[in-house]
Amino acid sequence: MSWLSDDAIFRLQTATALPDLSATRYRIVERIASGGMGTVYLAEDSVLGRRVALKILDVPDTSGELAARLLREAKILARLEHPGIIPVHGAGTLADGRVFYAMKLVEGQRLDELVSRGESLPHRLRLFQRVCDAVAFAHARKILHRDLKPENIMVGPFGEVLVMDWGIAKSLRGGGSLDAAMEPNEGSLARDTSDSAITAHGAILGTPGYMAPEQERGEVGSLDERSDVYSLGAILQYLLKTGLDSSANAPRPLAAIARKAMASNPADRYTSAGELGLDVARYLDGLPVSAYPENIWRRAARWAVRYRVAIVLVLTYLIIRALLLLWFRR
Amino acid sequence: MNKIVYGLILGGILGIFDGLTAWFTPAVRSQLLMIVVGSTIKGIIAGVLIGFFAKKVNSLPLGILFGLAVGLALAFAVAAMPDPTGNHYYFQIMLPGGLVGLIVGYATQRYGSSIAPARTQS
Amino acid sequence: MEDTKIGGPGGTFPATRWSAIVAARSTDSAERARALQTVVEAYWKPIYKYVRIRWNKSNEDAKDLTQEFFSRLIEKNYLDDFDPSKARLRTFLRVCVDHFLANEAKAATRLKRGGAAEHISLDFDAAETELQRTGRSFIGGASPESMDDFLEKEFLRSLFGLSLESLRRFCEAHGKQTHFRLFEIHDVEDSGTKRPTYADLAKQFGIGTTDVTNYLAFARREFRRISLEKLREMTATEDEFRREARALLGVVPE
Repeated sequence: MSWLSDDAIFRLQTATALPDLSATRYRIVERIASGGMGTVYLAEDSVLGRRVALKILDVPDTSGELAARLLREAKILARLEHPGIIPVHGAGTLADGRVFYAMKLVEGQRLDELVSRGESLPHRLRLFQRVCDAVAFAHARKILHRDLKPENIMVGPFGEVLVMDWGIAKSLRGGGSLDAAMEPNEGSLARDTSDSAITAHGAILGTPGYMAPEQERGEVGSLDERSDVYSLGAILQYLLKTGLDSSANAPRPLAAIARKAMASNPADRYTSAGELGLDVARYLDGLPVSAYPENIWRRAARWAVRYRVAIVLVLTYLIIRALLLLWFRR
Repeated sequence: MNKIVYGLILGGILGIFDGLTAWFTPAVRSQLLMIVVGSTIKGIIAGVLIGFFAKKVNSLPLGILFGLAVGLALAFAVAAMPDPTGNHYYFQIMLPGGLVGLIVGYATQRYGSSIAPARTQS
Repeated sequence: MEDTKIGGPGGTFPATRWSAIVAARSTDSAERARALQTVVEAYWKPIYKYVRIRWNKSNEDAKDLTQEFFSRLIEKNYLDDFDPSKARLRTFLRVCVDHFLANEAKAATRLKRGGAAEHISLDFDAAETELQRTGRSFIGGASPESMDDFLEKEFLRSLFGLSLESLRRFCEAHGKQTHFRLFEIHDVEDSGTKRPTYADLAKQFGIGTTDVTNYLAFARREFRRISLEKLREMTATEDEFRREARALLGVVPE
């Protein structure tokens, strides 16, 4: 047996880790990221001549549970065709036995990276609205994300927002072969090396700080759209607090919206992501929000802000008129 | 809010103020209520016309000119009517009238929506 | 688009995975022997090198101690005490070696050569040459973590070495010597500053560049399969296997 140098070991490690795409239409360009479920590579689609992202299972798994999980993720994405949800192009098995799926290559920044560099509050709120739209769409298709957080939201260079990482998504429907394929085998999900928490039952929950109390308690069966609403509320709170002037408090209506979304009791939250997004839209339009009841003074102040242009014009008119009167009288 | 409604409301408000300033002319003070009502209606009509123009024509200079013209024209129609003593107040009526039209012309070009309202309703 | 096939190209799952660690506790003596031979084959070189540089033993003493250690491991069933959920096998073995050597240092008795380990040919001279090539010297004061790193590196070297041999035999059996040779030149041999390009290799072997790509892909695929199989044998559970595969394939989750 010939001796292997350290360089040789490194080369062999690389050769072993690199996926064998010879039987596919894709060619690896570089590795982008590694996560709990697999590694994401930047690849070139040789047929369509475009760049894609490939999520590939790291190791061949003998029981097939990891492979099934990855493919389930791909099927969920395939079912959710929405501008705010990462589109999947295809899935399959590599020559070396590893399962993969191809998705759109997102070139942009994660939401947490974006806000740490600034970005005005109205811009953040508009991005947040789009996230709510995407999640509402998924809910309409009876899919829960279960791991919503700023790190799982990408913002493209043209302001497009994409919700990523549907790895622990769950279908709310029961029955039907497609939906059966959507059900995660929660008791047997393998330990995940991502930062998602794991209960003693072996079911993956989500991310601490962003997951709903009922999710944290492991009440997997009782999760519904409002669990995702909680996570969205946590994201909104994050947007209100991070990277902005720390001395200024968040506007009260927005703080109230976040509080309502993050109520401990699901019955006290917004019933849907759409409702939450609508309240944020109303705030942006200068309208009253459902989470923040107004007294007469607050309503007047809001009106004054909303119609400030007309008020300025009327005052301008009055000043000019007063000046004219004085001129006539001299 | 669409441009016509915006023009109507702004024109009406300015019309009210316009009418109220007649109080500073003692000779017509006794007819203040009628003046205010008339001025408000004049403002509303001007606002609707100017708002309609703004909905069809997207040009700030033209909007301002049109507003000025409408304001002056309507003010002239009022100023042409003599007061009980037979006096005309062309300058005192047409100058502010033109000013109202000018402001409404500017405002309706810059603000208000010329398309269907958004999903959020007040 | 490829059809989805779960379970690999063969389409089937192996009914049970064979683990040398688990089989080492078998009541079947033939099974135990095979298992222990697998462990010794994978670990004897790393342990020899460890004894040399950590305990600063001469190559002769290290040779004797390594053989004695593995004899004891086999006779006294050290592996029965190993719990994969608590530590890596490498760490477990390192601790066993440290205890063994500490006790040997106390006793003045001369070592006798172990019996069971003689069934496997242990080329200590080659191991010594390798050690010299790495240029490592005595590191007695080093931390346990750096020792674990050292053992991991050596284990990987040993594993890849064994896998390479298996790949060579596999390719020869299937008439794919060129495939193996290409892999050896491109991915294994050190070639100084400039690595051969696919075009260079194509010219050297008188084949097309596409053939080079395909042959290398084949060899890499088989090398990966063999390496993972050998690694799986050295782990007791699926979780441990996945963790080890991740660590050794150099994929670190972010």
